Amino acid sequence: MPLLSVRDLVVRFRTHDGTVYAVNGVSFDLDEGETLGLVGESGCGKSVTNLAVMRLLPAPAGRIEGGRVYFEDEDLIALDESEMRDLRGKEIAMIFQDPMTSLNPVLTIEEQMVETIKAHKKVTAKEARARAVELLTMVGIAQPEGRLRDFPHQFSGGMRQRVMIAMALALQPKLLIADEPTTALDVTIQAQVLELLSRLAADHGTAVILITHDLGVVAGMTRRINVMYAGFVVESATTPELFAGPSHPYTVGLLHSMPRLDAQPGEPLIPIEGTPPDLRFAPTGCPFAPRCAWRVDRCWTEMPSLDPIGATTEVITTGPEATHRSACWNRPTAAEAAAGRPLREGFVPAAQPVEAAR
Amino acid sequence: MTPFIAPETVPSASMESMSSTMPRPLLEVEDLRMYFAITSGILLSRHVGDVRAVDGLSLSIQKGETVGLVGESGCGKSTVGRAILRLYRPTAGRVIFEGQDITKAEGSTLRAVRRRMQMIFQDPYASLNPRMTAAGIVSEPLEIHGVSSGRERAQRVRDLLATVGLDPDYGDRYPHEFSGGQRQRIGVARALALHPDLIVADEPISALDVSIQAQIINLLEHLQEEFGLTYLFIAHDLSVVRHISDRIAVMYLGKIVETAGSRDLYERPLHPYAVALLSAVPIPDPAIEGRRRRIILTGDVPNPSNPPSGCRFHTRCWLRERLGNPERCVEEEPILREMAGRHDVACHFAEEVDGTAEQVQVTGRRAGAGAAGEAGAQGAGTAVSSTSREPETGATQVVVAPETPTAPEGPAPRRRDRG
Repeated sequence: MPLLSVRDLVVRFRTHDGTVYAVNGVSFDLDEGETLGLVGESGCGKSVTNLAVMRLLPAPAGRIEGGRVYFEDEDLIALDESEMRDLRGKEIAMIFQDPMTSLNPVLTIEEQMVETIKAHKKVTAKEARARAVELLTMVGIAQPEGRLRDFPHQFSGGMRQRVMIAMALALQPKLLIADEPTTALDVTIQAQVLELLSRLAADHGTAVILITHDLGVVAGMTRRINVMYAGFVVESATTPELFAGPSHPYTVGLLHSMPRLDAQPGEPLIPIEGTPPDLRFAPTGCPFAPRCAWRVDRCWTEMPSLDPIGATTEVITTGPEATHRSACWNRPTAAEAAAGRPLREGFVPAAQPVEAAR
Repeated sequence: MTPFIAPETVPSASMESMSSTMPRPLLEVEDLRMYFAITSGILLSRHVGDVRAVDGLSLSIQKGETVGLVGESGCGKSTVGRAILRLYRPTAGRVIFEGQDITKAEGSTLRAVRRRMQMIFQDPYASLNPRMTAAGIVSEPLEIHGVSSGRERAQRVRDLLATVGLDPDYGDRYPHEFSGGQRQRIGVARALALHPDLIVADEPISALDVSIQAQIINLLEHLQEEFGLTYLFIAHDLSVVRHISDRIAVMYLGKIVETAGSRDLYERPLHPYAVALLSAVPIPDPAIEGRRRRIILTGDVPNPSNPPSGCRFHTRCWLRERLGNPERCVEEEPILREMAGRHDVACHFAEEVDGTAEQVQVTGRRAGAGAAGEAGAQGAGTAVSSTSREPETGATQVVVAPETPTAPEGPAPRRRDRG
């Protein structure tokens, strides 16, 4: 039984400009203590998926229009707000990208930490404070007693993110969702924070969902990865398998379009042409088709499902044995994935059919 | 303060083509200082100190070369770019463009020089006037400098838009009608309008989506080849800087700590800060990540209004700790000295960095050598933690990117392909 199980999640936003198709049927599982990376660029639905799991979608625009979210067998979508509030922080905690906007600027760190602890545990203020000191020590903040009386603006960006991690782990949640936790930080501070996060998660046996656009970060931090594009999971694999044999054209494109620190000099970048789709249009066919070098006729009209690669019929969704799956009608071969482009003799990407053109 | 390149004697060159008969650099910066006053009080503002954003920096750029300037936020790299373009008036030092000292240039002299130096900004949302059309934005430099008019100017604008890969018919659209990548293309077209020699690109891709970044990098490389442009490429992303630059200068707290040819810096970084910075960049390959040695710097970048004495990096230096905290780092400021051919380092103990496991393992490529250095690194103390992030599976297969570049037909060709 997985710790978290998301099934066919559909999230839409009703805006003045029309409906935004943010998440279009996402399913994934997560075991206790497992680390899962959710990779994709802005607007791919990776953050919205997790806001939906936490039931924190901005109301009234954002709505879960389909699917189920099971956390320890309980359907989170069926819970009422007060039951959900008990769960947040205590069972599932979240760290956001920008620690300045997620900490309250007019309260001291002490007030915020003590409030969090007392909201979920029957402890005295003194006990809560002692726990806060313990937590700040754990995340490596010097002179924790004194620093508790400081306001968020008196901390640097890296330290604020440490405080966020301390608060997120205050109640020893079973699941920690980290949404671009290091994107706002410098690379040396990013290394500090990631090291802290992975050490603490391992010590406490916390399951982690790490949301990021940086394939480098997930390579070192996670065991399993879901690649998302335009509200779909397009590829799912264990971390070693994803990097060794990417099997969706978008994953292949991401790996070839980013310069690598260890690249050979003069290695060219192969950009992904075009731009991500406008999510105000209901998806027809594969959303990546207009940018895809491997597209065939079918891609324009039919979205492929997330199917296992190879002849396997049994699908394992979690753990180190998880089945490598991708949603593609014309998967790149291993040689093509390494080259970053189709190698088949005379292959031309299929033109958009006239009737589907908007 | 000794400039790291005595401009008359050692002309700068890319590492590959070192020669004593190089022409005069296109741009020379000598001992540049840029201080911003800190004032206190409401009515009578007293000068209580300075933020030393740039504190004695020397740099030279040859024509046609790309020099990368890297460092963390607040190290002064953007200030350097702005001071070169004379968007600021430098506190001290000299900026020399094609032999002409422009540090104090004013009025028409300055305008004439600025025509030849342009800038590409980080944020394609903030750097374009939302009330002007794309064509209006691109033609504004032509207007200001009185270049062409009427139909000729309109045609030039259409050509520029086509050059950067935009449909010329989109010229009458407003910035909000374009995507982020397209907006940055407009910014590039504006920078190209006056046929500049030097382009200062300040974090030109960091606001863009990952799948778009490569498009802009390839565009910049293609334009350099076509128009013989010289770039000062300012960025915090070392992978990108390595890809695009011929030479790289690493900054820390307003000073250059290391400068080397791009390849040399990544294969053999010699300043402890450069090693730490490189080791912190994640590489998208779990097998390599597992065997790399990551240096976790403790603490944050110190306040530039009150920088540490001696070597500015001594408060966070992993090497100093290993060497038993020598006093020299606190007392004496290291100058940039040449360690190897055209590889300059500002560290008293740079020799000690050479050959350490930390240096060898920086990009994870040079395996093998790691075993020998392993023992030496064990007693490294708290600053160096060899973070074991290896997934147990051990990741046998690695996608090795092709050694010989096999570019597809479509996108912009690489600079070196045509040579």
